[in-house]
Amino acid sequence: MKRLALTLLATMALPGIAHAQATDTASADVGVAGSVAKLCMLGTPTPAPVDLGQMANTSGTRVGKIAAISDRTVTLPGSFCNFAGSAITVTATALVADDASPVEPGFAKAVNYTAAVTNWAPGPAAVTTNATAAGGSPTNSATGPTQPAPKVADLDVTLSNFTAPSDNLLTAGAYSGLVVVKLGPVASGGD
Amino acid sequence: MSRNLKRLAGLSAAAIAIAWSGTAAAQEGGGGSDTDTKNFAVVGNVPAMCVGGTLAGTGATFDMGVLIDVNTGLLRNDLAAPPKILSGSFCSARSTITVAATPMAAQTFTATPPAGFSRTVNYTATAAGWTETPASYVTGAGSNPAAVQTRGTAFSGDITVSVGSFSTGGGATQRLVADTNYQGNVTVTLAVAS
Repeated sequence: MKRLALTLLATMALPGIAHAQATDTASADVGVAGSVAKLCMLGTPTPAPVDLGQMANTSGTRVGKIAAISDRTVTLPGSFCNFAGSAITVTATALVADDASPVEPGFAKAVNYTAAVTNWAPGPAAVTTNATAAGGSPTNSATGPTQPAPKVADLDVTLSNFTAPSDNLLTAGAYSGLVVVKLGPVASGGD
Repeated sequence: MSRNLKRLAGLSAAAIAIAWSGTAAAQEGGGGSDTDTKNFAVVGNVPAMCVGGTLAGTGATFDMGVLIDVNTGLLRNDLAAPPKILSGSFCSARSTITVAATPMAAQTFTATPPAGFSRTVNYTATAAGWTETPASYVTGAGSNPAAVQTRGTAFSGDITVSVGSFSTGGGATQRLVADTNYQGNVTVTLAVAS
């Protein structure tokens, strides 16, 4: 066993000696490469959902018609894109009565509004819904200006300008709508 | 010894396999992309309500004039008055319309009239335009099943209130006692139906 060990050591040592004899200094460059993917993230909408409460006047000259509803703001904190050339697309669906029955003459079962996303590009991404009295065609979409640099910001979505189609009387019931905010590269910002 | 090594190798292979599948899952479920979307709901409600509207035109009184045929002392058989229009009425949900009325009664002569005389005039009050079958109420009748009518949908429109089919309380042979003021009342009620 001892003889075998000595033989092995000698064999291993020989190549090492030969290498040291070629030069006493060696250097080489080793590249370090990586990549960062394009990334956009939106913060969690807060507060959400938005509850407008009771939307019709119950007295006065406009009894039964839409009341003055104050603006509501929802924040998407810490939203960012790590590349230049991004844009916001906002898609809004009017509030429509959940009741599926047809609307009666003089009545509406939809409430339209404007949704505007600010604090991303030089101008807002804003869209106004245009549902019919019967609640048809409730969804509209718009893309805002391009943000030319990587950016991180708290986005504000302001809901305003609440109106009923033709200012008709509002049908009783529960109403619901939806706001979708999309942040992405300009090329795919609109849809 | 050899068996133990094989077992170790087997465990390592299993661990690697688990690690790979973990990485794949993380990439699919939690990875970001160049586009992100968030949404939130917007909700509200409109309460069920009814508004009775206002009487248009010549005030709130059906003026029937002189009630009797002065030649006989009996109730005239040609009593009539233009209908009243309740305009601006609406209900934002399923509703009922109810009409109720009180007989026209002598307001000064309030005692029990002598035999052969009466101090009341009955009539039918009708509220039309809200429901397919108008709501109607006959004063002096034992029951008025047609007084309440239901509409299954929201509605906005005029209600036409009319009076007719006059008759003397106690029978057609009764004569009305003299009084400068016979008065009754018609009430139309709109209500949200449950």
